[in-house]
Amino acid sequence: MIEHNPLYQSMINAASQTLENMAFMEVMEHFDRSHEISIEELAWNSLLINDPILGEIRLAMSKAFLQKLTGNIFGIDDDEITQLQMDDILNELLNTIVGLFLTNLLADDQEYKMGLPELGADELPEVDANTIVWKLMTGEEDALQIFASGASLVALKDD
Amino acid sequence: MKRIIIADDSATARMFIKRCLQIIGLGDVEIIEAEHGKEALTAAKAQEVDLLLTDLNMPVMDGETLVKWVKASPKLGDLPVVVITSAGNPAKEAQLLKLGAHRVLNKPVSPPVMLDALADFMDE
Repeated sequence: MIEHNPLYQSMINAASQTLENMAFMEVMEHFDRSHEISIEELAWNSLLINDPILGEIRLAMSKAFLQKLTGNIFGIDDDEITQLQMDDILNELLNTIVGLFLTNLLADDQEYKMGLPELGADELPEVDANTIVWKLMTGEEDALQIFASGASLVALKDD
Repeated sequence: MKRIIIADDSATARMFIKRCLQIIGLGDVEIIEAEHGKEALTAAKAQEVDLLLTDLNMPVMDGETLVKWVKASPKLGDLPVVVITSAGNPAKEAQLLKLGAHRVLNKPVSPPVMLDALADFMDE
């Protein structure tokens, strides 16, 4: 049995702290739980949690929001932004969010291991019974979504 | 002029650390960027370096291995190493400090946290 803190709030806190520190953006739960990011406009990546639980975390947002984030963070104009910079921002965001999520979730003395972020190709995997979805947005209503999948990870979900 | 190596495979993370250093008054230092531990180790051996800031999860050579190599080196053994990671927790921090890391900081690092961690270094 793994000692842990509330899973859902751990992720919201992690995303909120990451976006606030990295991009000076406030993050909150999306007011529209049915909101979806258009597939054609989607940028996403994923990262594996390898210990003490097995799971995968995916981060998704629109390409337009990713471009806006990249411009804000690097302090450059839209026409100066490269795909490499956008990919790097997406990966660093996910890396930081997952690290904070696990720190928030697990007990203090619990060590964890996570993999490296990988950019997603094609469509996001389907959301099944073993997937938890966080629908978030910034103060300017730019949407981002986080997905957690894996039976042992989802088993920690608070009722 | 002081010389600092920043080892992180993410250009974004390196940029954040540089920005943090500028904010806390360390803008006037020479920064050497490395994309992994091996590149950082090579750079540290090639010239006099005052501080090494490193990520943990990196390809080729990770941050923990880098700390081990630095602390085992007669030339680099006294080089302060600060680990900045998203994969940190108290157990990992204790392990890294035992290996010889000066401090372990969690991403995203804020300027006050960086300032506190580098206070000794800035006083020199």
